[in-house]
Amino acid sequence: MNNCFVPMEAEILRADQVTKSEKHFTLRMKNGCRMDFAPGQILEASLFGFGEIPLGFASSPTRKDSFDLVVRTVGRVSGAINKLEKGQSVFVRGPLGHGFDLDRLRGHDVLIIAGGIGLCPTRSLIQYILDRRSEFKGFKLFFGSKSPQDQLFLDDLSAWRNSPDVEYHETVDKGDPGWTGNVGVITTLFQKTKITPDTRTVICGPPIMYKFVIKELEKSGVPHNHIFVDLERRMKCGIGKCGHCQINDKYVCIDGPVFSFDQIKHLEEVFG
Amino acid sequence: MSAVKKARVAFFDFTCCEGCQIELTNLGQDVFLGLLEHIEIVEFREAMSEQTKERIDIAFVEGSFSREADRARLEEIRARSNLVIAYGACAATGGINALKNHTTDYKKFVYSKDANMPHLDSHNALPVSAAIKVDFAVNGCPMDRNEFVYIVSHLLHGKTPVIPNHPVCVECKKRETVCRYHLGDHCMGVIARAGCNAPCPADGIPCEACRGFIDQPNEAALVKVLVEKAGFSNDRAKNKSRMFTANLRSDVK
Amino acid sequence: MSYFFLKESDLKDFVRKLISSAPVIAPVARKNKFVFADLESPDELRLDYDITILPPKKAFFPPNQTLLSFKENKATSAIRPREQILFGVHTYDVKAIDMLDLLFAENNADNNYLANRKATTIVAMTPQAVSGRAFWESVGKTVQPNGHDALMTKIREGYVFEPRTPQGTRLTKSGIFSQASSGQLDEASKCQSEIAAKCPEKLSHSTREISDKMRASFNNEKIWHTASLDCFSCGTCNIVCPTCYCFDVQDQWNLDQVSGARYRTWDACLTEDFAKISLGPAGAENFREERAERFRHRMMRKATYLNSRLGGPACVGCGRCSEGCVPDIADPVKIINNVMES
Repeated sequence: MNNCFVPMEAEILRADQVTKSEKHFTLRMKNGCRMDFAPGQILEASLFGFGEIPLGFASSPTRKDSFDLVVRTVGRVSGAINKLEKGQSVFVRGPLGHGFDLDRLRGHDVLIIAGGIGLCPTRSLIQYILDRRSEFKGFKLFFGSKSPQDQLFLDDLSAWRNSPDVEYHETVDKGDPGWTGNVGVITTLFQKTKITPDTRTVICGPPIMYKFVIKELEKSGVPHNHIFVDLERRMKCGIGKCGHCQINDKYVCIDGPVFSFDQIKHLEEVFG
Repeated sequence: MSAVKKARVAFFDFTCCEGCQIELTNLGQDVFLGLLEHIEIVEFREAMSEQTKERIDIAFVEGSFSREADRARLEEIRARSNLVIAYGACAATGGINALKNHTTDYKKFVYSKDANMPHLDSHNALPVSAAIKVDFAVNGCPMDRNEFVYIVSHLLHGKTPVIPNHPVCVECKKRETVCRYHLGDHCMGVIARAGCNAPCPADGIPCEACRGFIDQPNEAALVKVLVEKAGFSNDRAKNKSRMFTANLRSDVK
Repeated sequence: MSYFFLKESDLKDFVRKLISSAPVIAPVARKNKFVFADLESPDELRLDYDITILPPKKAFFPPNQTLLSFKENKATSAIRPREQILFGVHTYDVKAIDMLDLLFAENNADNNYLANRKATTIVAMTPQAVSGRAFWESVGKTVQPNGHDALMTKIREGYVFEPRTPQGTRLTKSGIFSQASSGQLDEASKCQSEIAAKCPEKLSHSTREISDKMRASFNNEKIWHTASLDCFSCGTCNIVCPTCYCFDVQDQWNLDQVSGARYRTWDACLTEDFAKISLGPAGAENFREERAERFRHRMMRKATYLNSRLGGPACVGCGRCSEGCVPDIADPVKIINNVMES
């Protein structure tokens, strides 16, 4: 009988310590299992004895038969996973939840706003759009991090800075002597470019960020049903049972983690 | 994850009855020998005479910090230990020793003419963490031996122990213990940190909160239910949580 | 289906035969309360119980349940149902089981629950006694108990036994059953309405009215702050609730430190850490930090959040939360009626 809690084994093909607390893994399913996910979906990653944590896919399904995860050391499970190296295994259940509704993005201008580790799940979408660039109109990307040392995916960032396929803007809350770019909160990037009202916008970042970003989008005339938010909660089971990730009557793990802002803006518990 | 190399473990005692170390000898042969597959006990006064000055992986410190003279020894233990674990209620919270913290005249009543002897000189009974950095705690009076094994297992794997932050009520309900309040009694389980599997109420006695408070105890509501549901006088209700949790009360000085 | 009758004097033999065929979980006395427990003898059976401390959901969704065992990197599913008979379940508790059946099957089927549930034959019982805080007569009136295999109702001379499934019918082979007379059926139906009328507490509004008003009261901080002033965040109201099904999942090693288990344990949304996530060195984020928020969340879940999925409120009016709450602030009737009057 199928047991929805028994995970599948995935082998670590690559493990890079990208910042002091974050590690970037590339994984491939073992034993003939497949991981057919869409950008924005999540999985539960675990090590036996340590437990499980929810993570968003950090790569696009359009790329190879492997997938990427970025793990920030915040607790028992993430700490244990981040001690792993190439050739070892992580145990995963997924894909879970609802990702980005690509049909609602295709044929439109797309703006992705990512704060900090929020770049991980959105990287899946960024790669997807870059791989199928002709299906989308204008493509802008805002990325904000605490400091230059906290920036993730440095190779990607330098590629995006020079890519004709994406209009990339970045900022740090606090610069350092080597930093020549923008300093300030992520909303300061709105001054760098013009956002058309037709833009489909995806937001993923720390809880505090959403309110301010949405205010800016409203100023640009972007309607609420064109804004998509990728939310984080304590997703313990990932299958809509355990109750920990509830936002009012919504379960982030199955109704989300990506929601249209329109769908959840009336929920009091969304942004606290 | 495969098991790690044997951890060097030592036990030390300060102001306490050493009951938590005795409790360890009650683990039973299978569990105790099973543990010894993974740990090497290098100092344990209750069961062996050897002492060590070597480096220690896990130091279990029993007893509260109640004499300034103990500070140097605690610092020495800290300096040569990778992990320091407050072992039992006295070490974790000051425990029952902290009963004395709000009294002034106990010495006279207990020791009479000897009250001023220098060896009786002590300050407030405090948790070990008042003197040195403590990594984790094994709560309880005595500590719960099953939880001890559980915590050691976590530490062997480098995992932070999972200690509940919910009251004992959760555990009583899960094992369907009839609530003390439904038997006309009182109980401190409503504000006490769970993790012991609530043996006291199941054996017919109230929880005394020996594992300390949960992080956010509703002290005002406790006094209220002790008066209204358990029939305590106002004074008794207000003082009740001084037994094991004097140092955790919001009025601690 | 036909209706059967079992004489009071034949009950013990019937139960004894059931015990010899499969484990029978039924109400027994514990001090001045009752609990569902594996029956060792029919003498322990207390069909006159008013309420049990925990609801019977524990028979398929135990407080601690191993989901899988592991040894190094190999996991083994722990789904191993046992055939069992859950006997004497009050009709309001059957409604709650129906809800859990739906919730565990919906979206992603959870066989850790469903397999145990499927292996369980449920004999429901019209309550013979009503607990001091019950209000099951006035809650979710349009929802009828559905998942039981048979219903027993005590009448003067014995029990009217109404099988609802082939399993229920099969049970009658284990006892001396006769066809129930129409007089006995009338008496049973009279007993059912008489006992319902004895519920000491009562909701005064319809499910829909309650759901709408409760949802609209979300931002009424005064109500939730005042109602939760004496709350210990102890989670008793969750743990004893027949429709609560939240759980935490943890791993534990065995003594050998290489094998172990991943298990789930009932969790409670009233407890402080329920919605808390770790941010590492940056601390933690608690999405329901205030006890008033957690107190409100439970009531929203009971009165409105799940209604569209369940076809009624996620409350069956058993009164366990009211009875179990030491400061006596968890009573849904008082909370809801207070909101309705606000």
